[in-house]
Amino acid sequence: MNKLLLINIARFIILVLLQVLIFNKINLGGYLNPYIYVMFILLLPFETPKWLLLFSAFFIGLSVDLFSGTIGMHAAAATFMAFMRPTASRVISSKREFETGILPGINDLGITWFISYSLLLVFLHHLFYFYLEVFRIGEFFQTFMRVIASTLLTTLIIVLLDLLFKREKH
Amino acid sequence: MKTLVLFIWKHSFFFLFLLLEGAAALLIVSNNNYQRSSFINASNGFTASILSLSNTTTHYIGLIKVNEDLANENARLRSLLPQSYMKFDTTKYEAIDSVHQQLYHYQHAEIISNSFQKRNNYLILNKGKKEKIKPMMGVITSNGIVGIVKDVSRNFCTVISVLHSKSALDVKVKNNGYTGTLVWQGGDYTIGNVHNIPSHVHINKGDTILTSGNSSIFPEGILVGTIQDFSLNPGANFYNIDLKFSVNYNKVKYVYIVDNVVKQELIELKNTMDDE
Repeated sequence: MNKLLLINIARFIILVLLQVLIFNKINLGGYLNPYIYVMFILLLPFETPKWLLLFSAFFIGLSVDLFSGTIGMHAAAATFMAFMRPTASRVISSKREFETGILPGINDLGITWFISYSLLLVFLHHLFYFYLEVFRIGEFFQTFMRVIASTLLTTLIIVLLDLLFKREKH
Repeated sequence: MKTLVLFIWKHSFFFLFLLLEGAAALLIVSNNNYQRSSFINASNGFTASILSLSNTTTHYIGLIKVNEDLANENARLRSLLPQSYMKFDTTKYEAIDSVHQQLYHYQHAEIISNSFQKRNNYLILNKGKKEKIKPMMGVITSNGIVGIVKDVSRNFCTVISVLHSKSALDVKVKNNGYTGTLVWQGGDYTIGNVHNIPSHVHINKGDTILTSGNSSIFPEGILVGTIQDFSLNPGANFYNIDLKFSVNYNKVKYVYIVDNVVKQELIELKNTMDDE
């Protein structure tokens, strides 16, 4: 259990640094902003107490906010995403996920499950975040295109990152 | 009372979610306020020093372009020196000294964090209270305008970019002096929009747009961009003008912070006008 805690703390720090030092500077065609730090919330163990899920999402959002000058916005979007996570994992059901010791990820639950799980939650996060950032209804479709395109890009990067750290099965 | 507590306890996940969203909303609202600077902001020492560290490592990549810009600007400034002018009448030249008062002070600063791809963009500069930077000062580069200072900490300041939904700057057409408002509608960071230029004014593609100096934040006549395209809806009183920014906000690295020496006086005067 302690090892899990350390892994998650390390993941928190690494993902925040990756986000603010590299991915915040990526801009493809003026529309695509990958927010890969949400991977932290995706990969938290299923056994995480619900209050801890919300708090850790709030704080990783706030950390990214502090570096991006968007105080409160990522915190709000990440908290919303964490709130939707139990529902999402119920909707995208898998036979194995409620066994103890199973972690969300390609390793334990397979690539199809992980892609649909990430796509759904990343989409909810981006939807919340981009509309909060724009905050006007007049740019509805323009913003929606940004949400869709950025969701696809973020999910692609998250899946690739997860594949990169895939353990060999014994 | 007991049932209420039980109800909250039973739905604690939902109530905690509401609480945290409330906290986030509070932070957003307090930080969006133009005038008051909030308790937590991006110009605070810790985050700014990490960004500044990352900046020193990526510093060298754009150096050729930066050198070129600086050399160009040096050449331009050199041509403005008194030595570059022919003096015909010495007495008149001295008279100018006592008549003219310094109106704008310039300070150079380096961008340590820049964004241009969001709907609302901010920059962080490496100048702060130590250098007497204050909110609402203008920020320009050698070939255009960048934004307005928002929050100031000891060593750093944040700047609301021109690429921001709340940014609205007074500009004028160089040829005829008609003034309008510059806004940015998102998407392409090289294109802005100018509103409020009346339809009877004659404008052309490629016309230069300058700052008007009305706001007393930017000096008059700073380059903003050129008209790329314009249209006039039937029956409309004002043009829709697409403006190509003269600054590439992707590449900008060094800026000048402009301080209007008499701005406080102007603001006080305007306030007395509002009171009446």
